[in-house]
Amino acid sequence: MRRFAADADFRAGFAEMVPACIGLVPFGLVCGVGAAAAGASPLAALGLSAIVFSGAAQILAVQLLAAGAPLAVIVMTCFVAGLRFVIYSAAMAPYLRPLSPRFQRGVAFLLTDQAFAASVRRLSAGGNPHAAGLHFLGGGFALWAWWQVTNMAGYFAGNVIPPSWSLDFAVPLCFIALVAPHLRTAPTIGAALVAGYAVIALSALPMKLNLIVAGTIGIVAGTLADFARERWTRR
Amino acid sequence: MDATLKLWAVVAIVGALNYASRLSFIAIFARRRVPALLERAFRYVPAAMLTALVVPMVAFAPEAADNADVPRILAAATAGAVAFVTRSTLRTIVAGMVALWLLQFALGRIG
Repeated sequence: MRRFAADADFRAGFAEMVPACIGLVPFGLVCGVGAAAAGASPLAALGLSAIVFSGAAQILAVQLLAAGAPLAVIVMTCFVAGLRFVIYSAAMAPYLRPLSPRFQRGVAFLLTDQAFAASVRRLSAGGNPHAAGLHFLGGGFALWAWWQVTNMAGYFAGNVIPPSWSLDFAVPLCFIALVAPHLRTAPTIGAALVAGYAVIALSALPMKLNLIVAGTIGIVAGTLADFARERWTRR
Repeated sequence: MDATLKLWAVVAIVGALNYASRLSFIAIFARRRVPALLERAFRYVPAAMLTALVVPMVAFAPEAADNADVPRILAAATAGAVAFVTRSTLRTIVAGMVALWLLQFALGRIG
């Protein structure tokens, strides 16, 4: 850990994640409140946030636990909600190939929506993969540590932020901050529009399957648009 | 099943499954080449997946899951424009929150 903390790329990744951490405060509080409401002990609440480390899965888990759902249903629902990590894993894999297996396992543990969105642009820009990997680890570690703090704060102090402040809106704002700068080519804009439309159109699907299905449809749409543009410009 | 045991079972099983999802292709592609078609498709992962993630959060307020929430949608559009121009997470969050509060105030939602 000390070796990492001395590394300039690790520190830069850590520092760049600070604004996103601020935006995540309301989300972490809600997860902590949910764990307390489901009757989790402090240690179990910490286990949930430290090991599962996914706000969406944690909220689903504690809601289903509080409702007395069977273990198999809880596990299946959380697994489906986490399927987007498979897609993130695939999208990051080409850039992580030069790194050691230990390094890859560390990156995988810290892979979240925020960490992926914040790092993918730097990874895809090329450059030294080891430096980009350390940058990812720095940001991922900042998110992980801060996630434990906010979850515990929510667990012990409750939801200290009044709902009328609408601070939950900071969570989508974090993602908007990361995705909007990507939208600079026609296929990318197409991918986003199709995915955004599909996620609403498919919202009746169970277990939040609309998320992963709409994301996949958007990726296919972007790829097709990419091929179409290539053919068109070649003529 | 005992409630404490059940919660720890959720932590262990969901934790393991989530980690398997996160490691899946990082481990698979560590040993073999990534097909060209997939590599091209991966370029559209951030735009498509993150938009799919964001749209439901923006379109519907947490307590009113049926009606589209106009102040949130307009505030998100403002934030998107700020993000596009500045590429700054902090400025995007500040602009989006201020826009939401102003719109809610203007529409009399805060009372």
